[in-house]
Amino acid sequence: MLLLALLLLLVAGSVVYLLYARGTFEASQRLVLIAEDSEGVTVGMDLTFSGFPIGRVRRIELTADGVARIIIDVPRKDAHWVRESSVFTLTRGLLGNTNLKAFSGILTDPPLPDGAERKVLIGDATAEIPRLVADTRDLVRNLTALSGPDSPLAASLGNVRDVTEKLKGPGGALGMLFGNEADAKKLITALDRTNALLAKVDGLAAKADAQAFGPEGLMPETRAAIVQLNAALTDARASLKKVDAILEDAQAVAGNARTATADLGALRAEVDSSLRKVGRMIDEVNRRWPFARDPELKLP
Amino acid sequence: MASLLSRPGALTDVGRATLTWFAGWWRIIHFGALILVLALSPSSYAGPNRSAMARHIYLGTAPILLWFTVLSSLISLVIIRIVVVTAVSYGLSQYALEMVVRVLVLELIPLTAAVFVALRCALPNAADIAAMRARGEFDALAQQGVDPLRREVLPRVLSGMFSVLMLAAVSCVVTAVLAYVSVYGLATGAFVGYTRTFGHVFNPAVSMIFALKTLFFSLTVALIPIASVLYDRSRARLRTSAELQSLVRLFLVILLIEATSLVGNYY
Repeated sequence: MLLLALLLLLVAGSVVYLLYARGTFEASQRLVLIAEDSEGVTVGMDLTFSGFPIGRVRRIELTADGVARIIIDVPRKDAHWVRESSVFTLTRGLLGNTNLKAFSGILTDPPLPDGAERKVLIGDATAEIPRLVADTRDLVRNLTALSGPDSPLAASLGNVRDVTEKLKGPGGALGMLFGNEADAKKLITALDRTNALLAKVDGLAAKADAQAFGPEGLMPETRAAIVQLNAALTDARASLKKVDAILEDAQAVAGNARTATADLGALRAEVDSSLRKVGRMIDEVNRRWPFARDPELKLP
Repeated sequence: MASLLSRPGALTDVGRATLTWFAGWWRIIHFGALILVLALSPSSYAGPNRSAMARHIYLGTAPILLWFTVLSSLISLVIIRIVVVTAVSYGLSQYALEMVVRVLVLELIPLTAAVFVALRCALPNAADIAAMRARGEFDALAQQGVDPLRREVLPRVLSGMFSVLMLAAVSCVVTAVLAYVSVYGLATGAFVGYTRTFGHVFNPAVSMIFALKTLFFSLTVALIPIASVLYDRSRARLRTSAELQSLVRLFLVILLIEATSLVGNYY
């Protein structure tokens, strides 16, 4: 009987543990992810947040318009990790392992309501492989064309080989450039003459140097002349300063004279009017003076 | 083929052998149905039958429980270690635990429990039955008005079934604990993750298949040896003995059940 009780206990305990493991006893809310392609997603898969599983895929359905609905149960104690602004991704690695991940940047946003539907972003590493293979095939084809026996590259390399053989030959680089001896000789002659010309120019330059920069050359004398010029300019500056002073005086004088002239005119006008007055007065006096003499002179 | 058919009546022999083979299986099924009816009738558990049953259940389970638990724990430890080390070396340690649970708890433990009980318990029981029948004890019981099926056969069958279920249950629990300890050590922090993996493996379909498999194993182990012995005909013409024949049938059925469960789980 003990054994029977033990068996019943074990079986019952296992059943309870399994139910607990499958989340039967925890309240959960529903989250629906809409995906174009749910390949790789299986029922029972985890939805992870920062590496921790926070939900389990309960069902996968195909809607009437051909998109997949992935229904996920999220336990209420983990539901605060998914918010209104959460982003959900479905990534498929190269080995085919598929992961459903949730990312919540702003944890203070309002929490996701029960039954919320969200679009899931899909990333597939293996989708690049066909493109990579096609590109590689093109590259290989191009390389083959490029390195074939009758390709331009082969012809160019043949030419390069001929050139290097010429380089090794008696003419050397010059022979390769010109193709014959006479032209090469011309170039060498030209080089010699250029050398001689340069030597002459060298001597000329040395003489000119002496003429310009030597002890009796142009430059020292020019320098001395400039020094003298500087001194003369300084004198001239001083003289000009004096002239400046004189001009200022003359300006003052002219100003005074102007005012004086203006006064002079007024003075003259006054003198004129005074003289006129005096003349009138004298006339008056003359008219009234009884003793007026006849001015007229009688000549004998 | 030509030499076989050259003898007159060779085809008839082949036909007869096939029919005998099918008849043997039919007898096992018939016996199983009989035992099922007896097991479900309350009178089988009344009076002296109950004490006989209790005694056989105890005798069938208790002596081998500890040994089997220790043996299965040792083998489980080795297998867990191999799986975990291999998975870690390939960088796939996140799959190690799931694989251990699937391989050991789901598949190996019920299978080994069934085979162990078959060898230690069911076959000796069948031999007992054969010996008792040979000695005429069945007839004696029948003369006393006691149904020998109810008194001797049913308790042995039920004890075989109980033994398989008990061994499987205890070993599965011990293996689950060992798997946790092997992977995570004695830290309790990983219990949530472990529970989650366990729940992920044992979805409703897998759980049902596991329960049915264990039940069918227990039925097979309990019924086939005894059925083969009870309905055995003279085997003078064949080269195999009755025991070997029943063993072959037993393993065949166990293999069939295991294959069906694998198809149901993974196909």
